Amino acid sequence: MGEIHKLDQQSQLIAAIKTNDTVALKALYISNYSKIESLVLSNSGTKEDAKDIYQDAFIVVWNNVKDKSFIPINETAIQGYLYTIAKNKWMDIIKSSRFKKTKSTFNEKAFINKSDDIIEEDSSNEKLKTTMCAFKNLGQPCKQLLTSFYYEKKDLREIASELKIEESTVRNKKYRCMEKLRAMVLPQKT
Amino acid sequence: MKDNSNITQELLETVERYYNDSMPIEERSSFEIKLKSDETFNSLVEDIKTLLLGIESQSLKEQLDEFHKDIPLTISKKTSPKVKVLQLIKYAVAAVIVIALGSYWLFGKPSNEKLYAKYFTPDPGLPTTMSATDNFEFYDAMVNYKHSDYDIAIKKWTLLIDKKPHNDTLTYFLGVAHLANKNENKAINFLSEATESSESVFLNEAYYYLGLAYLKANKKEDAIKYLKLTRVEKSIELLDKLK
Repeated sequence: MGEIHKLDQQSQLIAAIKTNDTVALKALYISNYSKIESLVLSNSGTKEDAKDIYQDAFIVVWNNVKDKSFIPINETAIQGYLYTIAKNKWMDIIKSSRFKKTKSTFNEKAFINKSDDIIEEDSSNEKLKTTMCAFKNLGQPCKQLLTSFYYEKKDLREIASELKIEESTVRNKKYRCMEKLRAMVLPQKT
Repeated sequence: MKDNSNITQELLETVERYYNDSMPIEERSSFEIKLKSDETFNSLVEDIKTLLLGIESQSLKEQLDEFHKDIPLTISKKTSPKVKVLQLIKYAVAAVIVIALGSYWLFGKPSNEKLYAKYFTPDPGLPTTMSATDNFEFYDAMVNYKHSDYDIAIKKWTLLIDKKPHNDTLTYFLGVAHLANKNENKAINFLSEATESSESVFLNEAYYYLGLAYLKANKKEDAIKYLKLTRVEKSIELLDKLK
């Protein structure tokens, strides 16, 4: 044992990200957190800050791997990418004026190495945030249904048998839930 | 997003297929042509894509909070230089004590325990990056096992073994986890069971760890018996020292 699972871990990880495989995502999440936490803690941040930027970075990485805007080139590329994004996010925060007003001492040395800067998708971010917020507040039955279908990737038949309803009912409900969600996003847009 | 009325169920499902990469080639190319030529259509599709991505991102975000609860508590803290000096002294004192105890341990401890400590390293575990949603509980516990949270891993696997008694993978890892958790008697029970299925892919390792468990229990004869059955390389060296 031991050797076999080194092989091709990155492509397994990509596949897992595309299917939102809970076990793999959890392992990736847990195993890379401590580095970020110590970076943030030794640069004027709190554990809560560390958690926030790490989660933001994790979602960016997940998204960029999924839409192929990031393609890993070596065995630990995704992990390195995750660290760099989180680091840059934290750098942005401590450089911001609001942060400087409240906290003045921080160790900038840790951030000297800027060669590995990564350009982050920022454009349609606003729209996405609005949608996420709307989905967060969507009624539980709709939220549950849409999560099962779009995140957990269950098919209509699976969901139908779980809810003990017809497949066609699930299909209609899903459509109505999407309309509901869209209606929640719309007013803020116009 | 302008008009709420013009998203049909059909359009939604078309965009789903496009988003999931599950569109047949011909449909895809005509779909993409339409995207390029029809601006209204394009922005409508973009809106739906944002909805889909938003749902997934928010679901992930909520799941991350769940993951976060399982992060082992870390000890990292900001330290001032003064504290660092104090800590250095503390470490120096600790090192002296460790050396003192170590030499006592080297010369004074019974050799079975010593050999056990030298030869025992927990099995690295199974990869958890593979797609294994059908076996979620097992791999979930594997994550704990790999973080040396043996108590949690044992608890989760014990629940599973009630459902699947005699499963060789479960008995094997329960055995190793108990051994890593310094509970050699329980380890012996599970590992003995793991060696009973001669087909098991873990057979070699199970014999090796069973030998080590007996060694830890200070039962040298049994240890030798099982170490002779394994083909794990380190066992030859260990057997030599046991003689």
